Amino acid sequence: MLRGTLEIMVKDRDGRVVKYGRHEMKSFLNNFLKFLELFFKSNGQVDISIVDTGGTSRPARGSRYNAIRENSFMGGAAPDNDDSYGIIVGSGTTTVNLNQYALASKIAHGTGSGQLDYNPTSLDDFGVDTSVSPPVYRFRLVRSFINASGVAVTINEVGVAVRYRRDTDDFKFLIARDVLPISYTVPAGGSATVAVTVEVELG
Amino acid sequence: MKIKCELIIERDGKEVYRGESKSFLKNFGIVLAGMLKNTGAGDARKFVVVTNTAGASANVYVEDSFGTDVRYFGVMGFYAGDNDDSYGILVGSGSTPVSPSDYALASKIPHGTGSGQLDYDTHNVLSGYGDTSGYVEIYRSFVNKSGGDVVVREVGLVARSIDGAVPSDVRYLIARDLLPSPITVKPLGSLTVKYRISLAIR
Repeated sequence: MLRGTLEIMVKDRDGRVVKYGRHEMKSFLNNFLKFLELFFKSNGQVDISIVDTGGTSRPARGSRYNAIRENSFMGGAAPDNDDSYGIIVGSGTTTVNLNQYALASKIAHGTGSGQLDYNPTSLDDFGVDTSVSPPVYRFRLVRSFINASGVAVTINEVGVAVRYRRDTDDFKFLIARDVLPISYTVPAGGSATVAVTVEVELG
Repeated sequence: MKIKCELIIERDGKEVYRGESKSFLKNFGIVLAGMLKNTGAGDARKFVVVTNTAGASANVYVEDSFGTDVRYFGVMGFYAGDNDDSYGILVGSGSTPVSPSDYALASKIPHGTGSGQLDYDTHNVLSGYGDTSGYVEIYRSFVNKSGGDVVVREVGLVARSIDGAVPSDVRYLIARDLLPSPITVKPLGSLTVKYRISLAIR
């Protein structure tokens, strides 16, 4: 039904590619299914609980009827410098389990030691590709990270978190986490670009 | 890891088909990408364009802000009530091959008790979330009160999007599967169709 791949490209301070890898995405999480559950149950005022990236169980609702100022479900296009959602990276290597709600050790946005400067997350929508069998609907989330910390920073895990809003509720939920099969070290002054490509298998 | 979707069909309480649903449609990709493409701030109206079940282009609003107005909002709802054959799980008698751009069943079997009709029940949802596997399942039953046989050859999943600000109340097909062989529902017989989406750590 749905699968994903991860691509990571690391460049040095001169813009030369020093490492590139492409890996099958292995770990969509239960939180992704919980979003499907709230959609499945949608047409009423039914809440389901999803654990946010802070570890707190939050009520989420698939449809609403009220004077609600803000409404969204799965926003992924995190803005510049926002490390709370979109594509996020970490240094942790803890084995994935499907109930995880956060990276094991997120690399924070910033220019301090062990930090990376988060650029915006964007989405390229490629639409239907009928040149493969079965045909797929393909889109790609992309984010770049600049290492302005002065020391090398190592990426071992990648996650995708989404933003949910319902009036004053403003939650972030991790829907995918992968521990990379190899480490990616971003040299001082260098950068890493992470792409998450999702393919929905079509009929 | 791939997220799998199984299609399970029971007739008169007995499983008669279980197989992978391979037929999600372009509309599903458009809406999933449309939600992820936005910031999630929910402070402005954002939409994507799908093809509704009537074959017309329609806006599905993935984010919106209502201010002090009282309005409905939903992007992808499936929980159609009793007797409602406009969305949720639907069944049909058509056998046209599936195309990614399908927007409706080839020949929907309508709700009712007349010839060639089935009585559409409400929906139910089951879920289970373990550390190494998880699933969510939606199912719906259909009862044949027509007095004659009813033959099912296709099943589909129709989502409902609603945004009271426009107003916009859209039904759009996101999955359609042809059955490998037709299933005949006898008078007073029942059919239950389940979509089970699962993931597992291998």
